Amino acid sequence: MEINKTFQETEVEAVLSLLDQYQDNSKIIAGGTDIIIQLHQGRVNPEVLIDISNLNEIKEIKQIEGRILIGSATTFTSLMKSQVIPKNLWGLIEAASQVGSPQIRNAATIGGNICNGSPAADIVPPLLALNSQLVIANKMTERKVPLETFFIDKGKVDLKNNELLSYIEFENIKENQGLGFTKLGLRKALAISRISVAVFLEMKDGCFNEIRIATGSCGKFAIREKEVEDFMRNKQVTDELIEAGANLYSNIILKRLAGRHGSDYKSEAIKGIFKDGLGKATHLAKKGGV
Amino acid sequence: MKKRGKGIGSIFYGTGYGNGFPDVSNAIAELLPDGKVAIYVGATEVGQGAKTILSQIAAEVLGIPLQQILFVCEDTATTPDAGTAAASRQTYNTGNAIKIASENLREEIYRLAVEHLKINSKVGLKMADGKVYLNSFPSLAVTFKEIADTFSKQNKRKTLRVEGSFTALTTKMDEETGQGAPYWPYTFSVYGVEVEVDTETGLVEITKAVCAQDVGRAINPKLVEGQIDGGFAMGVGYTIFEDLGLQKGEMKNRRFSNYLIPTALDIPELEKIIIESPEETAPYGAKGIGEPVMIGVAPAILNAIYDAVGVRMTEIPVTPEKLLKAINKAEE
Repeated sequence: MEINKTFQETEVEAVLSLLDQYQDNSKIIAGGTDIIIQLHQGRVNPEVLIDISNLNEIKEIKQIEGRILIGSATTFTSLMKSQVIPKNLWGLIEAASQVGSPQIRNAATIGGNICNGSPAADIVPPLLALNSQLVIANKMTERKVPLETFFIDKGKVDLKNNELLSYIEFENIKENQGLGFTKLGLRKALAISRISVAVFLEMKDGCFNEIRIATGSCGKFAIREKEVEDFMRNKQVTDELIEAGANLYSNIILKRLAGRHGSDYKSEAIKGIFKDGLGKATHLAKKGGV
Repeated sequence: MKKRGKGIGSIFYGTGYGNGFPDVSNAIAELLPDGKVAIYVGATEVGQGAKTILSQIAAEVLGIPLQQILFVCEDTATTPDAGTAAASRQTYNTGNAIKIASENLREEIYRLAVEHLKINSKVGLKMADGKVYLNSFPSLAVTFKEIADTFSKQNKRKTLRVEGSFTALTTKMDEETGQGAPYWPYTFSVYGVEVEVDTETGLVEITKAVCAQDVGRAINPKLVEGQIDGGFAMGVGYTIFEDLGLQKGEMKNRRFSNYLIPTALDIPELEKIIIESPEETAPYGAKGIGEPVMIGVAPAILNAIYDAVGVRMTEIPVTPEKLLKAINKAEE
């Protein structure tokens, strides 16, 4: 099959109509940094390409009633430059800044990174740690799903062929909260993450009042680490607690990746990556500074 | 925890094919009708700057600006064999061949200038800016163009062409004792690097580096620096990144997404020290440094890793995976 039609729309409505019309025969293209390669390799064979990179409506980042909404067609570069993102959400900016190279970040979008379903997607762990919801639209209606349940398998997500991911939203961060992110890449640019960890924290009286942790590149898709979270929540922050949390985390990863290439390394390295991400989150939460 | 360490790696390198293998470069120098000079040589430019420095050598011998040299290479129909762009031999071997061809051309031009100027000796003649003149009476002069014209009239429109050939000294080593003089000349180089090792992830970051490189003579210092920068980056890739992932003879990492080479961000600032100690047998003393600038990088980094975390790595590339394993093993 060959692409015989491409559309470039400026209204979300128009895209939804096209999706409704072409369904399985169509593919959405935003930044194109993944799909162009998939097209070249013959891994996807749509008849119709629908370009959403001109949908200004979903290219912005807004704050509405204590929630932050990121349009799915926002590029990593615009996320990095956004004035809407408070300082203690730095983990989100850090994750965006470690995607590929400047050229890729100028084109690639947040929505694309999510919908592509890669376990190594850099922006997913921080969004998971923020308890993000996805706003998904079709021609008739709109639904909201937690990001956590959106991933079905490696490269497979809960998005139907007539649907468009339009927004990613989460509660805005408070002064005593912080989001940290640490990625282990094997070089400083253009590195696919080997492990990434995002940590969301709320500090109160020297305790982890709330803690949410998400891991990337250690399984079929990025996931929350609820066992580690439960272990650390509501406890006084001490070096011993952090050490014990890191060891628990390491055991969980070792079990999850059992028998897979690199499991020994990842379960070891996760300790350092986790502590680094946790340290950044703690620093941001203490600093407040919205 | 991040630990820092320093290490050096020093090397010496024998230029050319060595060990008795014939190592010959040939070149042709030609006086063109417009007074420019063409050099024909089979040397290959692979980005190392051979075209530039080989042209500089000819221009220097003939006292003409670089723009007056027409440099023809890589065309087997028109150029004589100058061996491979390998073994860091083009500067030394082909440089010598071009210098000899240019000197032979200079002698021919002097001979023709003596006739043209109706003097009885070439003693006191000089060359500059495409002219031959008598040093004690500079207005007595003849241009390269006039000499080319005269030669062409006397020789049925032919141009003045001369050859030059250089054979490097290389003898076979004694197979029993390993003794002998396999190469000439040798080049010396030292790298110093500082690394930061993350003991929890095994990641190695090169934070600072310096290279002191013996070049004989730097015909083009900027190109020497470029060679050092390139060799260092390749050495860093060789030491800590580039992993074919061979498993039972099969390459697992066969794309640039998993066969990693360093990016600009992975390469720290490199201080370059050019050591000039002219080699008697080399063209203007210059020796090649293509390979030498890469060789010392790995031992320097491995020594720095040892200094940082006390672990001797004996296999490259030192991937974070291998290093973390070794660090943990050493701690047990």
